[in-house]
Amino acid sequence: MNETAHRLRTAAPALALVIVALLGLGFQLQLPRAFPTDADYRAVAGALAAARAPGDVVLLHPWWTERARLFVPPEIPVVGYLGDTRDDLLAHPRIWVLANERLPRTPDADFRRNFLPDRTPAGPSQQFGPLTLTPYRNGRARRVILSAVDALDRLEVSVEGPGGAPAQPCQHNGARVQCPFDATVNVAWHEVLYQPVRCLFVIPPGGGRTLSLRLPDAPAADGLLLEAGIIWEHAWLPGRADVQLQLESPAGNLHLRIPGGHEGLFRGETPSVAAGPWTLRVTTANTQDRLVCIRLRALGGPP
Amino acid sequence: MSRAPTPVDRRIALGLWLATFVVLWATERAVGFTRDESVYFAAAEQFSRWWSLLLHRPATALSDSVITQAFDFNHEHPMLMKSLFGWSQALLHQTLGWVRPAAGFRVPAFAVAALIPALIHLWGSALWTRRAGLFAALSFFVVPRQFFHAHLSCFDMPVAAMWLLVVYLFWRAEEDLRFAPWTGVALGLALATKHNAFFLPVVLTPFGVLAAWRAAGEEGRRVILRMGQVAVAFLGYLALLLVVKGRPELVQSWQPLSPQTFGAVALVAGLIALSLQLRRRDGTAFVRLAPLVAMGLIGPLIFFVHWPWLWYHPVDRLAWYFEFHATHVHYAWTYFNDVLRAPPFPLAYVFVVTALTLPVSLLLPMTAGLLRSGVRCLGDLVPAVARRFGPGGQTEWLLLVNALFSILLISHPEVPHFGGVKHWLPSMPFLALLAGREFDRAVDGLASALRLTARRGTVAGVVMGALVLLPAFTLTVHVHPYGTSAYGELAGGIPGAASLGLQRQFWSNNVTGVLPWIDANSRPGARVWLHEVNGLSFRDYQRNDMLRKDVFPAGGPEDADLAAVQYHQEFREQEVQVWQAFGTWVPSTGLYLDETPQVIVYRRPAP
Repeated sequence: MNETAHRLRTAAPALALVIVALLGLGFQLQLPRAFPTDADYRAVAGALAAARAPGDVVLLHPWWTERARLFVPPEIPVVGYLGDTRDDLLAHPRIWVLANERLPRTPDADFRRNFLPDRTPAGPSQQFGPLTLTPYRNGRARRVILSAVDALDRLEVSVEGPGGAPAQPCQHNGARVQCPFDATVNVAWHEVLYQPVRCLFVIPPGGGRTLSLRLPDAPAADGLLLEAGIIWEHAWLPGRADVQLQLESPAGNLHLRIPGGHEGLFRGETPSVAAGPWTLRVTTANTQDRLVCIRLRALGGPP
Repeated sequence: MSRAPTPVDRRIALGLWLATFVVLWATERAVGFTRDESVYFAAAEQFSRWWSLLLHRPATALSDSVITQAFDFNHEHPMLMKSLFGWSQALLHQTLGWVRPAAGFRVPAFAVAALIPALIHLWGSALWTRRAGLFAALSFFVVPRQFFHAHLSCFDMPVAAMWLLVVYLFWRAEEDLRFAPWTGVALGLALATKHNAFFLPVVLTPFGVLAAWRAAGEEGRRVILRMGQVAVAFLGYLALLLVVKGRPELVQSWQPLSPQTFGAVALVAGLIALSLQLRRRDGTAFVRLAPLVAMGLIGPLIFFVHWPWLWYHPVDRLAWYFEFHATHVHYAWTYFNDVLRAPPFPLAYVFVVTALTLPVSLLLPMTAGLLRSGVRCLGDLVPAVARRFGPGGQTEWLLLVNALFSILLISHPEVPHFGGVKHWLPSMPFLALLAGREFDRAVDGLASALRLTARRGTVAGVVMGALVLLPAFTLTVHVHPYGTSAYGELAGGIPGAASLGLQRQFWSNNVTGVLPWIDANSRPGARVWLHEVNGLSFRDYQRNDMLRKDVFPAGGPEDADLAAVQYHQEFREQEVQVWQAFGTWVPSTGLYLDETPQVIVYRRPAP
């Protein structure tokens, strides 16, 4: 017995090396089984095209599996960014989750914790190779009555000086609103903490002046959702000034602050609001990185 | 035990060098041009023109203004490798026309990188067994990221080779005085390769001094003490000058006739005189100290002479050189879903990234070897540990310190953390050596447990070696030429690393994966935006026939017909800008490694 134990102990390092090598080889041999073929993706695209409805969206799981973009019908938005499981996707009553759980280290716990609450399967899952396509009813969806990005041409934009100085109007110049003091507004895609957002891209004037955006004839809504953040790498730089947003509407005033050096979209929502004008004022003392991405939406109840 | 390799091991080392050189050359065509590499290509060409001028009009070439003009470009790095790249390209491509331009530049990098397995084998076979040396040597270049970096006309792999060369020669010189001057020459070449080498004296001085002290008699120790006193006096003198003049003034006022020069000359003269005295009075101690003396005298001399940019303004340009690297900019780097942009960086970063990028079958023997080495060195300080695990000794310490030094240096939270594993590559040959010893011990154990004959033991070693190296080899083959994207099994491979939130790639070379598609799908005159690919690399892809010559670089998505975006967490905005400019979020194609997006190509829809 002692002799056997001794021999086993002596051979243990070699056995450990061989076992680890075999495990490594095994991992590499089985890994390709997790990779969908083009045909798998085309089948997914076919299924989506056949079942699509207005407001559908595809959410990728894991978030980085963006090869799907090559195949998903272009009319259906594809969401895949770091942190997307927390996205309410409130404009989308149905979410198609395209999951590949055969991939190593798939972040399932994050998916369960952040995506699943308020979402229920709206049909059976379909399997396409390693891909699973599951429709979910989005319990967080709301009716979007109006989005400011769709109302750029109706916005009255001006720069208000400090200390009650008279406002200087801005000019609509094609798809862009050009203002004094190098302030501008346009509608564009930008990234806020890895999230692609189509937003009012606002460069407010520095030096204590305020950019005012007024929508004179906004509809009644259950609430106004204001979201704003600094785009890209301009957000994290330390030592930057805050950006202040003040929304005046028939529901009262909503104040939002984007703290200097902080990334991400900051949110605020008003109570229900009657029809009437909205005025959003954007102010910052920051003269450099003032690149603000703003989403302002009038929301109704569940769709 | 002699430290000299046997003739057979010398031949094996030569074979390893040759095989590595051939494999690197044979596999280089697919490797893209990293952002820095194209800069070094351009610098190498510029410098080779200066060398040509030196041959034809030496007086002009040697003037301050011409030297400044010729060497000002990319003076962040010394000249040795860039000169070799330039000469090689001038000979192999321009003169003989044997190879494409990129291969012409890269050949010296292959030759220098190929030294690593050869040196590892020489050292490992002398320390332990031929089997240990061979396994260690082979294990080095079956690590995907190491194999990748060995292809580049850059300095990370060359300085790893030079570091190993210096330490190996130092180790040999401790026994054989004839190696001492070569240690000095090797240090000079290392300094002329990359700034990491300035840490080599810091690493090796304690070893040389301690060995000399132990070997010295009473008289020898008195001389060594005096050498220490001279060094301390110089440092005190320098500190005094710093206090009196301040740092900028100390640099600016450093002239041939100045207190600073006096101090430096006094130091060198004093140490030379004392070294000669030590040689006369205590030859054994001198042998131990000789490599350090050679390093001190020959190394800086080679460094200075090889770099014309220093000749007329040595002090202020050296000061700039050190300042540049001491205050290097921090590039964004993704680590577990955090984009690291500024210090302090996570202390465990280097260890974690090393563990996640190495094939697991090599990580295990490296870790075991490192632990064994650590415990044995501890045994030199704690006798009870030595009784249980065996003593360390100078060579064990030398291996351990060099295996850990670069890793610990980059682990400092204030040191830039970008660049994957390339900044601590000098540690990796030593880890490979320690892995070789563990492998050898494991095979010995197996042979003993199975009571194998010597011949069967050899066969078992070969089979086991092949088995242990195979996962690493297949990983390297699988990921080539996209080495900066490689992750080992512990990370879950490339897709596992993406889910863990690790840096997807860097240095822009992965664009080669989509160049054939761009070539096939661009109209003549198309404007192509290759994100992260600098203008020099764009030019290099065209002149190496990897990209059509009738397409033009675009400055951004706004003026591009095609855009190839490199996936970096910190560059998401730039992909979104393509959506904005092109009016679509649907890519046309892409490079997806094991499903992970690496380079995504968009085409502007027809109006």
